[in-house]
Amino acid sequence: MVNLPTTPADIIPFIIAVVTSHTFITLVIFPGLIHLTVVVMFLTWYERKLLARIQLRIGPLYAGGPGGILQPIADGVKLIFKEVMIPYKADKPLFLGIPLSLVFLGALPFAVIPFGQHWVIANLDVGLVFIFAVTSLFPSMILIFAWASNSKYPFLGGLRSLFQQVAYEIPMWISALSVVMLAGSLNLVQIVNAQQKIWFIVPAFISFVVFFIASMAELERLPFDLPEAEPELVAGWFTESSGAIFMVIFLALYMKLYLMSSLITVLFLGGWWGPAFLPQPIWFILKALVVATFIIIPRGVYARLRVDLLIKIGWTRLLILALANVFITVVLLSTGILSAWGL
Amino acid sequence: MDLSVPPDITFVVLTTITLLAAIMALQAKELIYGAISLAISFIGIAGFFVSLDAPYLGMLQIAVYVGAVVVLILFTIMLVRREEPDKDESPETGEGAAGLWLAGLLAVSIAGIAALAGPNLPATPPEANLPISQLGPVLAGTYPVPLIIMALLLSGALLGALVLAKVDK
Repeated sequence: MVNLPTTPADIIPFIIAVVTSHTFITLVIFPGLIHLTVVVMFLTWYERKLLARIQLRIGPLYAGGPGGILQPIADGVKLIFKEVMIPYKADKPLFLGIPLSLVFLGALPFAVIPFGQHWVIANLDVGLVFIFAVTSLFPSMILIFAWASNSKYPFLGGLRSLFQQVAYEIPMWISALSVVMLAGSLNLVQIVNAQQKIWFIVPAFISFVVFFIASMAELERLPFDLPEAEPELVAGWFTESSGAIFMVIFLALYMKLYLMSSLITVLFLGGWWGPAFLPQPIWFILKALVVATFIIIPRGVYARLRVDLLIKIGWTRLLILALANVFITVVLLSTGILSAWGL
Repeated sequence: MDLSVPPDITFVVLTTITLLAAIMALQAKELIYGAISLAISFIGIAGFFVSLDAPYLGMLQIAVYVGAVVVLILFTIMLVRREEPDKDESPETGEGAAGLWLAGLLAVSIAGIAALAGPNLPATPPEANLPISQLGPVLAGTYPVPLIIMALLLSGALLGALVLAKVDK
């Protein structure tokens, strides 16, 4: 607890006390605002470079730094100076407001993601449910934005996005259920602590596969990028967005990509645990970036799924597999096979 | 550093948000603004649950009501074209009687369960800050009767939805 300053001489110590407090550092520097911005900007460059390499191109090169790593800054400046076009008869407050709330919703779940034993903003007891609740707001936001653009293709894309995300939420969170059963907690810090001896990818491998595929569908990544299928829908639900609005949506999407990779790291890949020669947050970020790489690569490799296949895979394969792994977890836990690893 | 807010201020802010959003939901001219206000109102109620030491309930309130119910409402608003309602809305003969029968059956079974098992309920409510791991045992062990009644009501609602959505061939 820091006392509010009463005399002018107290102001400097007060500011120092605030800036060095745990709340401020975790909220603003790491794992909060600055870290998020830097990683998200890096991811936009990383995806372009990676896809270019897959397709035997060079990718961003001239923006400065090694391999054009300053490209995101150039992109940002360009997009900020572009004109924001608002479609005729679009719903202006919603059209401008929803992208901002998408960024807010994308950043909010990082409040409970633990990047290290003490590197967490809020050690919430219901952390996993919190993320579930916040991410379940995305589809409706997207549909409202698509509706607010008052245009045909965004609306079709918004409907597709809603169907897809609502359908794949179910197998995704059922597969997270077996992790919760293994760890015996919804607290993400405790879930990671339970993986000190064995990562949950081993006893819950099917869940890991289901969660990975479902999170790719949630992120609208290829082969699940039906909501923004370029040949059919121009650019899907954000077709009408331009300039700064597009940049904000872009940031929100990459924030969600980082969120899902972090979540997979927390749930299945042992979070911050790793050999001690690197600090815990570094291990976490490295693992999350590896997961992000595997989420990005299919974009350069696979073709887009058909709508009927998408629905069929979601409801008849992933859901069954997720439920099967819940059953397997019950058997594993009740027979005590996993007791050697303290589960 | 302690950044927590006094409970009174939390209550006043939450109440203002919830009530204003609820009024907006009723008064909004554009239906979609009504749906959004409804979502904000639900989020305010979730805030109440969190401030009452029931964070799990608060999160589920957001996930279920904002994440699912409001999505359904949005769907309905956007997909259903505004048409003149049919004048002839009276149910076919037999349907009304069957509905009454079912409602009566449901009411009788709920009353029966409550009367049989009601006296066995513990007089004191469980402690306020119940850990989540205890939620299941308490719900299924101490309070099975409300759980069963909820299940009956939900299955009744589900049957009703099936009847309403059924397309006659």
